[in-house]
Amino acid sequence: MDALLHVLVIGMLLGGIYGLVSIGLNLIFGVIRIVNFAHGELVMLGMYGAYLVYSTMGLSPYVATLIVVPALFVIGIVLYRLVLQPLQTESSMQIFATFALLVIFQNVVLAFTRGEGFSVASGVAGMTLPLGEIRVTMSRLIILLAVTAAAIALHLFLKRTMLGKSIRAVTQDRQAARLMGINVERTFLITFGIGSALAGLAGALLSPIYTLSPGIGGNFILAAFAVVVLGGLGSVAGAYFGGLIVGLVEALAGFYVDPELKQAIWFLIFLAVLVVRPTGLFGQVGAEEIGFREQA
Amino acid sequence: MKSVGTPLASPRPTETPAQALIPSWHRVAWSYAGGLAIALVPLLLLSADRFWLNILTYTYLFAGLAAAWNVLAGFGGQFSLGHGVFFAIGAYATGLLFMKWGVSPWLAILPAALASALIGSLIFLPTFRLKGSFFAIATLAFNEVALVFANYFESVTGGPRGIQIPFRAGIANMIFADPRGYALLMFGFMALALAVALVLRRSRLGYYLLAVREDEDAARAAGISVVRVKLRATALSAALTAIGGGLFAMYVRTIDPPTLFSLPDIGVKFALLSLIGGIGTVIGPVLGAFLIVPTESYLRALLGGSVPGLHLILMGSLMLLAALFMRRGVAGAVDALLERWRHRPRSGR
Repeated sequence: MDALLHVLVIGMLLGGIYGLVSIGLNLIFGVIRIVNFAHGELVMLGMYGAYLVYSTMGLSPYVATLIVVPALFVIGIVLYRLVLQPLQTESSMQIFATFALLVIFQNVVLAFTRGEGFSVASGVAGMTLPLGEIRVTMSRLIILLAVTAAAIALHLFLKRTMLGKSIRAVTQDRQAARLMGINVERTFLITFGIGSALAGLAGALLSPIYTLSPGIGGNFILAAFAVVVLGGLGSVAGAYFGGLIVGLVEALAGFYVDPELKQAIWFLIFLAVLVVRPTGLFGQVGAEEIGFREQA
Repeated sequence: MKSVGTPLASPRPTETPAQALIPSWHRVAWSYAGGLAIALVPLLLLSADRFWLNILTYTYLFAGLAAAWNVLAGFGGQFSLGHGVFFAIGAYATGLLFMKWGVSPWLAILPAALASALIGSLIFLPTFRLKGSFFAIATLAFNEVALVFANYFESVTGGPRGIQIPFRAGIANMIFADPRGYALLMFGFMALALAVALVLRRSRLGYYLLAVREDEDAARAAGISVVRVKLRATALSAALTAIGGGLFAMYVRTIDPPTLFSLPDIGVKFALLSLIGGIGTVIGPVLGAFLIVPTESYLRALLGGSVPGLHLILMGSLMLLAALFMRRGVAGAVDALLERWRHRPRSGR
């Protein structure tokens, strides 16, 4: 019983990480329908940004989010405007371009750091919290809290504000949204910016947990796509609960089946969901219907 | 004065004139032979140089592999990122048949191709209802599941360390003491893949595939069995990719999961080469391979030692520029130029 509880706690904390990485991708993939392979690299940039702030100004990575998140918002806007928007009618070329961005980001960071691994230390992150017999690391708990807060904030933003409403309208039917006077291009631009900013938030908060390396984004990107499709496109709840489900499945499979197979198991679950219910668990029916050609 | 296209001119630059006016078999055969002869020239010029011979061998191999990918993704519009699975099936089946039962690789690639076609049809079948990027992500997931399994079932695959094929030179073993043998082998594979693409492009199945790519609902309404067409294209594409995987295994003589399931070097590479050359055209994937593979290898050798990652920064930038300024690939850009030349203003000459 204790073991099960332990596994569940580990799974929840892991799910927080997956959810935090996926929540921005869910916006980008769900609203603009770009398969953004470079999303993991945006998370990586967020991590290195936090390291830069930590090493030059001595600030904790949690304070660094105040700098990293706006910076990633700007990077996202620039990327969308210069690279992705011109390719809007060419979806396969868009995938290709995001892959090129992935290669560039990874190797620019590699060239600057010369492959040296960095780590960010933080007094708060290293503390542990006793929860019954289980000791929970503070840094992971903060992530779970942060993804919960981010999910609620994003949900309120999408439901309550005009901009949020226009994002939802564009998700449902971009033709109709355009006819209603919504500036679809500007909505996409801002959505990509917010998605990138959330990737930056994820990066900064993850930086105390991982040793930083240029290729670290690759650890997150496939999981993030699985979470997004599993949870449901354009659904904040989908990214949140999808992340927790993937985290729990990974922890349970790792404990009860075989740690080496845990990834295959959640990928198979993901494939099964994709085939049986392409909309995802929380997605709107029909959201997956937009193929490459209808995107223009 | 700017040239004005006639109303009959194709608005899409990838639609080669060949598609508007079906050329005779005679003409196709001659351009096929001519193209292969041109592709053979660098082999004659460079065969003394081990460095370039190795690059050329990879270029031929990846030209064939990209052409195989293009059968399903280019003609049929099914943007697969899971072709690494077929590549790996070919490599493992050929290598295991050779190592465990001493089957000559020349024979072993046939069951390897068959197995790949069967498994490919089976695993892709449930994903055919997915469209566009969803299909791409689902097939990407196949690649990852296969990677985990290949690492896990160590008794069959040799696990993460892989299988080593000892160097026992001999034509029956498909192991050549003279590296030119491998270059010719890969050249033959490219010729095979191109021939399949050419025949397919003019066959009934080829036209069905184009119809499915352009508009699935319309194709179904016209009486095409969409699932059957996708299945046949998958089987063909998977079989060809597996042959390429088998040849690759015999060339490098190491079969290990990190190499076979690598996304940048295998699974996504086929797509990158085809996109840069011109997706959906017969010649595009080959053009892409001939541009990218040598450039990448050369830059790696030139810059790899100085600043880590510099050659990949350059490659990534080149790919980005190609995506932005040659949306229909090299083949599309050439077609657009030809089209402009054909409709050049005659007045004032």
